[in-house]
Amino acid sequence: MEQKTSLADALRETISENLAATIILVATAVLAVWLGISAGLSQVIISLVTGGMWALMAVGLALVFGVMNVPHFAHGESFMVGAFVAYFVFTPIRDYLAQNPNPALTAVAPFAGMIAAALAGAVLGVILERLLFYPLRIKSRAGEWVMNAFLLTVGISFVMTNGARLLIGATFRGIPGYWLVPPLEILGTRIAVDRVMAFAIALVSIAALWFFLGRTRTGRAIRAVSQDEVGAQMMGINLNFIFPLTFSLATAMAALAGASLLFMFQAYPTVGLTPLYFAWFVVMMAGLGNVAGAIVGGFIVAVFQTATQQFAGIAWTDVIPTALMIVILLVVPFGIFGSEMEE
Amino acid sequence: MAASKNNDLVLHTEEVVKNFGGLTAVNRVSMDVKRGQIYGLIGPNGAGKTTFLNCVAGVFAPTSGKVYFLGEETTGASADWMCRRGMARTFQISRPFPRMTARENVMVGAVFGAGGNGARSPEERAEEMLEFVEFPWDPDVPAQRLNTVQLKRLDLARALACNPELLLLDELAAGLTPHELDDIMAVIRQIRDQGITIIVVEHIMRVIQGICDEVMVIDYGTQIAEGTPDEVLHNPRVIKAYLGEGH
Repeated sequence: MEQKTSLADALRETISENLAATIILVATAVLAVWLGISAGLSQVIISLVTGGMWALMAVGLALVFGVMNVPHFAHGESFMVGAFVAYFVFTPIRDYLAQNPNPALTAVAPFAGMIAAALAGAVLGVILERLLFYPLRIKSRAGEWVMNAFLLTVGISFVMTNGARLLIGATFRGIPGYWLVPPLEILGTRIAVDRVMAFAIALVSIAALWFFLGRTRTGRAIRAVSQDEVGAQMMGINLNFIFPLTFSLATAMAALAGASLLFMFQAYPTVGLTPLYFAWFVVMMAGLGNVAGAIVGGFIVAVFQTATQQFAGIAWTDVIPTALMIVILLVVPFGIFGSEMEE
Repeated sequence: MAASKNNDLVLHTEEVVKNFGGLTAVNRVSMDVKRGQIYGLIGPNGAGKTTFLNCVAGVFAPTSGKVYFLGEETTGASADWMCRRGMARTFQISRPFPRMTARENVMVGAVFGAGGNGARSPEERAEEMLEFVEFPWDPDVPAQRLNTVQLKRLDLARALACNPELLLLDELAAGLTPHELDDIMAVIRQIRDQGITIIVVEHIMRVIQGICDEVMVIDYGTQIAEGTPDEVLHNPRVIKAYLGEGH
């Protein structure tokens, strides 16, 4: 076999092997360009920011499904927890700084809220896995796990949204912005610093996750478990370490998404529903359990959303992308980038 | 437990039983495997050989009975713990990590197994193991693109990278040509010569006769004979189990 194929060959191979992905990617690119020309660059930038966040949410879903076979329907509640933690950590600091101005502290204070949210998410993930998923896994018989885990996550979602309503109340708690400074000028378009930061945070977290999975010892173990659970155990990999870690990572990323979008989504008990639906939309379109697909998929969905808003009106935002998902699933049931389930 | 303390015994099982619902897949199997042996486990299809290995390796906990590995009771221990203790295996149907390259597959064993890489990096150790099993292909090819013969060798390299004291080979020779059989038998002997004890589950009598020091035959989950390959293959109960009542 020839070792090196040219780029053109590789491209041709990808296109012929994966027609659905190619069509969707080309359609997305065309839509993004059209959006840029007709509605201005700001719409493209909004798509990128939203895309980064959907990707951050979807990566967690893909990871949890790929590694633990959990169809996670309480992922939105991790987003909600992140939003609340960020709100309750950030606002006192902000109020304190209003009394005692300190420009350096004002610039970094938002990170305190976000880091607190991510840490809270990580801890929550470990607790949920050890307290609920672990005993359920021991007790589930072969073939029952996915359904049991699904029902458990739905239960967690109910308990957490209603628990939040009971403990914190149903009021909306938001902030006008993390960094209340004039918007940045990017290529002639003015864009709020918060949006730029949200995008940067998503990119950095996803890049860090990518490096972790691809290059580190533990990341390799996570990939091994997602590809063959028993085989991985036979190589000495301890599932009682990998499962809590994976769940914790996913929860932390969702909480970080909730925290860094606090300026867009206010914190309230059911704030996680929209991000949950869109994250699911992304992983179903990309292919269940496919982490790389979830990243690309996040941006694709965001472009479709923004384009729908722009060209069809805001009332159609959820309708058209969801209808599109149904069509995609009918044509390529394992998602455009292929799924773990396919093998 | 005198026998279990015996350091010459790498593996010692006492009346291991495994039930699946009403079905007894393994029925009171007691096995002693001495250090440095190549021990054969044979029996007709569905006799419970793989289930027995799974009980020993920690994939299933035995319903009853005891397993001692390296003089220590390990009944019901988890598979990953057994691997870190020094028990590695290959599978009847190779099960590599499909989306990792051959090299990465072996590195997983080197990184997580029983250690013993010394000063070598996991990459170097993976390279060495692939070379040892004469892996006949580019190590940077994803495992899902390899054929059966290549996968068998990859499985073996990956198990060896775990640095085992005891290696369980589940039908490693199945589906190989006579020429490839000679190769794989030579490789198995070389592994033993490095001080690794081996249990082979095999159907191919030529392999059993060619490499095994001692053999156990199980049929319907029960052990029906033990001894040297020649003794066992001339045992009337074994002949009956393999060829049926008419012979």
